[in-house]
Amino acid sequence: MFSKVLIANRGEIAVRIIQACRELGIRTVAVFSQADADALHVQLADEAVCIGPPQAAQSYLKVAAIISAAEITGAEAIHPGYGFLAENPHFAEVCEGCGIRFIGPSASSIQMMGDKAAARRMAAAQGVPVLPGSQHPVRDLEEARRVARDIGYPVIIKASAGGGGKGMRVVPEPDALESALATAAAEAAAAFGDAAVYLERFLPDPRHVEIQILMDGQGQGIHLGERDCSIQRRHQKLLEEAPSPALTDALRQAMGRAALSVAQAAGYRNAGTVEFLLDERGSFYFMEMNTRIQVEHPVTEMVTGVDLVKAQLRIAAGEPLPLSQADVRISGHSLECRINAEDPDRFLPSPGRLTNFRPPGGPGVRVDSHAYAGYVVPPYYDSLLGKVIVHAHDRGEAIARMQRALDEMQIEGVQTTIPFHQKVLRHPDFLAGRTSTRFLERLLQEQ
Amino acid sequence: MDLKELKALLRLMEGNDVEELEVEEGGRRIRIRRRSAQALIPQAAMLPVPQATVQAAGAPAQDTAGLIPVESPMVGTFYRAPAPGAEPYVKEGDIVQKGTTVCIIEAMKLMNEIEAEVKGRVARILVENGQPVEFGQTLFLLEPA
Repeated sequence: MFSKVLIANRGEIAVRIIQACRELGIRTVAVFSQADADALHVQLADEAVCIGPPQAAQSYLKVAAIISAAEITGAEAIHPGYGFLAENPHFAEVCEGCGIRFIGPSASSIQMMGDKAAARRMAAAQGVPVLPGSQHPVRDLEEARRVARDIGYPVIIKASAGGGGKGMRVVPEPDALESALATAAAEAAAAFGDAAVYLERFLPDPRHVEIQILMDGQGQGIHLGERDCSIQRRHQKLLEEAPSPALTDALRQAMGRAALSVAQAAGYRNAGTVEFLLDERGSFYFMEMNTRIQVEHPVTEMVTGVDLVKAQLRIAAGEPLPLSQADVRISGHSLECRINAEDPDRFLPSPGRLTNFRPPGGPGVRVDSHAYAGYVVPPYYDSLLGKVIVHAHDRGEAIARMQRALDEMQIEGVQTTIPFHQKVLRHPDFLAGRTSTRFLERLLQEQ
Repeated sequence: MDLKELKALLRLMEGNDVEELEVEEGGRRIRIRRRSAQALIPQAAMLPVPQATVQAAGAPAQDTAGLIPVESPMVGTFYRAPAPGAEPYVKEGDIVQKGTTVCIIEAMKLMNEIEAEVKGRVARILVENGQPVEFGQTLFLLEPA
């Protein structure tokens, strides 16, 4: 096991990783920008290194600064968290080149899965269902028209180098294709430095269901069931749950096997998530693979009892998987609400000083957060303040527990999305488990 | 005195809005001065833990008034000279021009020459040869000249 790990991240996930390291007896090094000098992850780590000014491009995204910090502190491994450099194959490569273990998959796996069109082709080659779509990025409008006609409208245009909802456009009918193609390509170029786009059949109202997998360095892999992340606003997840109300155990095992076959074909190692769309008939289609620990990993931890961050550290240190597929049990139901420092109606960021921060407690409640009373939420990074996670015997009890926990939680000084979550948790469609990716859009329109 | 104690001292200072603290214990002395615009972790915390004595992280208030800090623009290891055994780039009392190389910061096996941004006389050298430094850490104090 490593004796010292550097956490190349900030906020709640940096705190989470430090927690796992401490429990494993690993010394921790935090890196921080000048805007994060008072941050909780800096206070909790054994050592801390200031790596740059507030702007992420000059600090948390600066490969040289992070590697240099690892070298001067003697860190043996780097955990990249999520976001920032977590899925940057160049960073993973530089780590290995400097003799520092990157806690995650290989640079080539990251690269492979980062090319979304190539990942689709790989999944299809494994016999995993994919939505009808273009084999390769489309070269021009002519080709796009041909492909779209073959797939059948409506189609969705997606950035090949992308994710996070950028560089995506839905095209309801042929007349809209030309301008949608141009804007999607421009957005993709701006967001990812690559204008390549591919086309896919558009499902009007699917569920977003993703499978958590773990693979060790000996080629052994297991899946830990699914998370339903259908509640999204502009492709940003807000509320997640495990298990999904839509899955039978048979479907879970089928999706799990499909996810593992994609991971195995990619020579994958460590934790990863394979995302699928599920239509009303229960057919699933591969979307993409995320080669990192995800924000919503806690709901899987609650229902399986497996500490995913510790698993990442152990796998990176060369240990085999801690359990076999037969050992994996899904027990009870878990929900997670992402609490953002945002106006709950318009979702605009609300940075500032937290004059009060009182998280909820009691049975089955977990809070993953870097916030504390007196903390100043900086304007330079994302607005996630923390996650409230609950676990209970069944979905009904989990919902009641989350309602209770959010009612109990007090955050003052900034606006938060708690009132928005409270609305979702009382909505009849949510209570009935009738959620899909358009649920939120409909709820917001009802207001 | 270890990192935990240092951090506790810092929290004490911060909580009571104290700018400077000096503690003497069993023949060892530490002086910590807070600079409002910078990280609260003292530069001394960058040293590896086994260090028996801790370097003072700053100078008394009356000495630094009017002095211009030369801050590290990167994370790395500070060297006073172009090579081991060579003459240091600057000594206390030397006059530097804007653009004069004052030290090297090594990061990822690359030697980066750090230049003074203003003309001045080297008043204090705050770090030692071979010491790890972080972004924004004050390396030298210059008297305007």
